[in-house]
Amino acid sequence: MMPEGMNSTAIVVFISFVAFSLFITWFAARKMHSVGEFYTAGSRITGFQNGFALAGDFMSAASFLGITGLVFIGGSDAMLFNVAVAVSWAFILFAFADRMRNLGQYTFADVVAYRLHPERIRVLAAVGTLTVAIPYLIAQMVGAGALFETLFDIPYIGAVLIVGALMTIYVVFGGMIATTWIQVTKAVLLVAGATALLIFVLARFGFSIDNVFDSAAAAHAKGADIFRPGGLYKDPISILSLGLAFICGTAGLPHILMRFFTVPDAVEARKSIGYAVGIIGYFMIAIIIIGFGAIGLLTGESEYVDNVGRISGGANMVSIHLSRLVGGEVFFGLMAAVAFATILAVVAGILLSASAAVAHDFYTRVVRKGKISEQEEVTVSRWASVIIAAIAIGLSVLFKDVNVGVLATIALAVAASVNFPVIFLALFWKGLTTKGAIWGGVTGLIVVVALIILSPTVWVGVFGNAEAVFPYTYPTLFSVAAAFIVTIGVSVTDYSERARIDRDGFAAQLVKSEIG
Amino acid sequence: MADELDLLNNPSFRRLISRRSRWRWGFSGLLISAYFLWGVAGIYFPEQYAQQFMGSSIPIGLAVGTLIIMMSIVLSIIYVRIINRIENEELVGEEKMT
Repeated sequence: MMPEGMNSTAIVVFISFVAFSLFITWFAARKMHSVGEFYTAGSRITGFQNGFALAGDFMSAASFLGITGLVFIGGSDAMLFNVAVAVSWAFILFAFADRMRNLGQYTFADVVAYRLHPERIRVLAAVGTLTVAIPYLIAQMVGAGALFETLFDIPYIGAVLIVGALMTIYVVFGGMIATTWIQVTKAVLLVAGATALLIFVLARFGFSIDNVFDSAAAAHAKGADIFRPGGLYKDPISILSLGLAFICGTAGLPHILMRFFTVPDAVEARKSIGYAVGIIGYFMIAIIIIGFGAIGLLTGESEYVDNVGRISGGANMVSIHLSRLVGGEVFFGLMAAVAFATILAVVAGILLSASAAVAHDFYTRVVRKGKISEQEEVTVSRWASVIIAAIAIGLSVLFKDVNVGVLATIALAVAASVNFPVIFLALFWKGLTTKGAIWGGVTGLIVVVALIILSPTVWVGVFGNAEAVFPYTYPTLFSVAAAFIVTIGVSVTDYSERARIDRDGFAAQLVKSEIG
Repeated sequence: MADELDLLNNPSFRRLISRRSRWRWGFSGLLISAYFLWGVAGIYFPEQYAQQFMGSSIPIGLAVGTLIIMMSIVLSIIYVRIINRIENEELVGEEKMT
């Protein structure tokens, strides 16, 4: 592992990032006067800034560390994720940007509650948000703990507590203003770091992409077969399910949808997602090349990879090892600190969306029916953040050895199967009724959780059974279809008085969603 | 409510909705079908996927994947520009009428 323990560059860069982020938080806290500033930074973020913040929200440590690891092990297969991500963001721009921004205020629940029964639908949205946010938070924090343990020799619990404490401070005192600027800073650092790594890697190959691929094939145990479609390409259903998990799942992530409301209008919302597509697309292409470069460069370096191809510290360490190999100790320290800053910024965004679901959607709108002062709502949000953070820290300590991949799959699959169908149909289908939305959402949730438990990852990987009951890793094709079918079926057979109000409300919603 | 229903029958507003939705679903459909065609093709044509792209060492499958990522970026830029233009054309007329 780490030969000489602590890396001083990593510690200096990381402490500077933390100091800067706390300064941003202090600055944001002084400007925080209203609920709108707490949840959406007063909608004063520009499209360009928000583009970086959106990209930062999505480019988690999982994409930077995880995908290069996937390429290292499985070759071309990882490209299925990278392309899905870029397509998904473009789809969010085309389908959601205008209408979401024009209809919403703080959370995606504002949008679906526009014409549907506000209290009932917000309970569903809050459940949908929390079932995405909590597994996602735990996945990030467990990942951070493991990374910190390997990189800095800090005990796991210590790392989880540092992440937990910092994210709580950012959200409680700085709200969305601080979260946005920390996210922008991190996105710039991450893109710059990945670019530098890409240049260092390409320099080793004489700036020839051909050489990158040739030496990957020469170095890898599977030879040129790493370019062939591998284990993820089982059958069309697997491909459809994986694609839908990313395309619909990203469009249903509450902390990403919440960012639509930090800009003043639909024009800026479109622009911001346009920038995000560019940044994320570039990043996805860069990490594929870095991943193949890693195969050629790290294989045979016994300090990082043993003679059967096992990576020291696990597959997630590929980018970090590579940084050290091509850039030396200083660059390695820099990239380790950037990876950690990435996790910090992402968890802050997720925590804010979870506390908005509890404090805004559930407490303010359902329990108090909107009869609450701004001051009180902000106070409730702050307490909600503290409590959710405490729960996430507790669960991360408890489930230290949980499979992070399973948690991330759950978060994305729930977002695709519960949040996405409700938002999509609320925006585009007049016939959607409250009853249909709730039945569909509950169906999506039950189907997605049941199929993940029965899938190879959990049934075989966690419970140790010989064969999975449900053969596919991603349940999304089935769970998204079930949610849509039940929502539509229940809606068209809903003859209640409420259903009439829901359908009649579509005309007014359409006008507002198109022109703001 | 009456104002909104008036707007719904306003020809300029109707054009705004239909022009926007044409681009919305056209671009979405194009990208998503490109993705799934590329993905499913990998199952049936693994040899071709791994073949080298136009004399380089880059596998065709990865080259096409990269092109789809670039297409996402290009279509996003075009979409932002077109929709801004459509809104300018249709909403200017809109404000005169309301």
